[in-house]
Amino acid sequence: MSSKGAELVVRALEQQGVEIIFGYPGGAIMPVYDALLNSSVKHILARHEQGAALAADAYARVTGRPGVCMATSGPGATNLVTGIANAFMDSVPLVVITGQVPTTVMGTDAFQEVDVFGITMPIVKHSFIVRRAEDIPKTIALAFQIAAEGRPGPVLVDLPKDIANAVPAHAPIYETRRPKRVVPDAAQVQAARELILGAQRPVLYGGGGIPIAGAVDAFRAYARASGIPVVTTLKGLGSVSTRDENFLGMLGMHGNRAANRAIQESDLLICVGARFDDRATGKLDGFAPKASVIHMDADPSEIGKLRFADAGLLGDLVESLAAMPTGLDIAPWQQWCAARKVEHAWRYDAPGDDIYVPHMLRRLTEEAPDVTIACDVGQHQMWVAQHCHFDRPEQHLTSAGLGTMGYGIPAGIGACLARPGARVVTVSGDGSIMMNIQELQTIKRYGLDLKILLVDNSSLGMVRQWQQLFHGERYSEVDLSDNPDFVEVARSFGIPAFRITRRDEVEGAIRRLLDTEGPLLAHVCIDPKSNVWPLVPPGQSNDVMMEELSA
Amino acid sequence: MNHTLQMNLHQVEGALIRLLGLIERRGFAVTSMNAYTGEQHVEVTVDIHSAGRSVETLTRQIQKLYDVRSVACLTAAEAPAALGGSVAC
Repeated sequence: MSSKGAELVVRALEQQGVEIIFGYPGGAIMPVYDALLNSSVKHILARHEQGAALAADAYARVTGRPGVCMATSGPGATNLVTGIANAFMDSVPLVVITGQVPTTVMGTDAFQEVDVFGITMPIVKHSFIVRRAEDIPKTIALAFQIAAEGRPGPVLVDLPKDIANAVPAHAPIYETRRPKRVVPDAAQVQAARELILGAQRPVLYGGGGIPIAGAVDAFRAYARASGIPVVTTLKGLGSVSTRDENFLGMLGMHGNRAANRAIQESDLLICVGARFDDRATGKLDGFAPKASVIHMDADPSEIGKLRFADAGLLGDLVESLAAMPTGLDIAPWQQWCAARKVEHAWRYDAPGDDIYVPHMLRRLTEEAPDVTIACDVGQHQMWVAQHCHFDRPEQHLTSAGLGTMGYGIPAGIGACLARPGARVVTVSGDGSIMMNIQELQTIKRYGLDLKILLVDNSSLGMVRQWQQLFHGERYSEVDLSDNPDFVEVARSFGIPAFRITRRDEVEGAIRRLLDTEGPLLAHVCIDPKSNVWPLVPPGQSNDVMMEELSA
Repeated sequence: MNHTLQMNLHQVEGALIRLLGLIERRGFAVTSMNAYTGEQHVEVTVDIHSAGRSVETLTRQIQKLYDVRSVACLTAAEAPAALGGSVAC
């Protein structure tokens, strides 16, 4: 019996092994939602398409397989845009299926018509408009292949409603080819080996490409065998355990001073799956000014994009790392880095009775080393990156490249569904949480065991901090002191909640979060003037780290 | 710097606009272009200009596009571009 296009879509998803998709129905995508009723694929109904896309993004980061989200045409599709951009900037494999108005009226400004294919072109790895129902199996299979291979990213499939309803004469099963394994060039490998053997002060600069490439174990093995000090980017956190003695910390604008000083002093930077992002490098021509560069990446266009690479190792990170030399004679440098690590270790003896968020976050991951933290964006995001311990990169879900406020709750939802039974905590702020607050209902609807640690400074803290430091304390639209009562908000969604305001309540709150079954929101009220330190001012080199201003 | 790029694309929906969008987005102005559509492929030749971006990085970014079969830069290799003076916000 012949199947409709929509049924072919669902069958193609099943063939890809998809278990969960995130979405929101509407007019143009209705045939696919109808077909889903007969499928084993579980659909998670978000309460806003952006929530669906961001949850699918986190699901992909945790499982390592493409996340899938779906929405209707017009506003459904445009609401996905931030989620697609988020996945694009952080190289997350995502397959996005949008309903479209029928091909017969495309281009006529039909009801709920929008050119999502055009709108998303700069933020997708690739995109398709399906013009014939018989192309559906091939298109979906290609979408998954393109999303996952090499440097991953989002792929959009725009599906006009008449194509979803059409019954093709034949619908061939389409099998994708095996991904090509790119092996680094032998001459570049040799050049890299010589650079490492000749270096006195090498640093491993690890990024989000390490977990994406499945190279965490290889990276750890090389770091351990070589003894080269390690710094990571925001997305690279956990590539070595943050408890590892060779780990100096995150580099960059809010990095640890020891990490930034090591980079600035280094004579060889071994960049593994990172991209010299401006938040990591600060002023580019002042970044690691004495260092030669080895750049290992799966993406040829990243090598040499922002910083000349003396050796560029394109392809499989595992192979590249395995080919690098060990047995290095760098003891004085290791000792210098170890001394800087001690010198610049985080301190948690902040005076006063106010809740000190860095200490609270450190205590959370000390009490629950297995916790997965889904972060929102702002000051609390940087505190998480600085102070939480991570044994694996998948434990740290953060919107790095795009900096999407509103990521935290959907990401927590995606993580809960990706690893049922895992301990997941969303750390959010009072600004960020309001951007996708509706997803509290998704937590409730599916009974997800997601804990929310809401850090509330009654302001847009990071913007306020910049206005304080760089705009002469001219505060513009950062006061959020009219926030709703977040405890009552959570309860109205059927999620238990409590509030703390004093430092002596922190330990009890952490225990309560970790010991309670089911969702729970802890509303943590902090000093509105709290800032994130240290800070490299925008446009400065990483030598220039501002420390806490005296009160 | 001025450069000439010659590309061969699969003739599929969006291929041309995706290519031109990428070139402009990555900081190059198209000063002249010519496109010839064959049965399955599109031959595109563009003259581009940029004050400081690397055409080699651009060609690798173009090469990554799924619909691009080949790309060649018809001008001589250049010294590595320096973005050092530029800073993000």
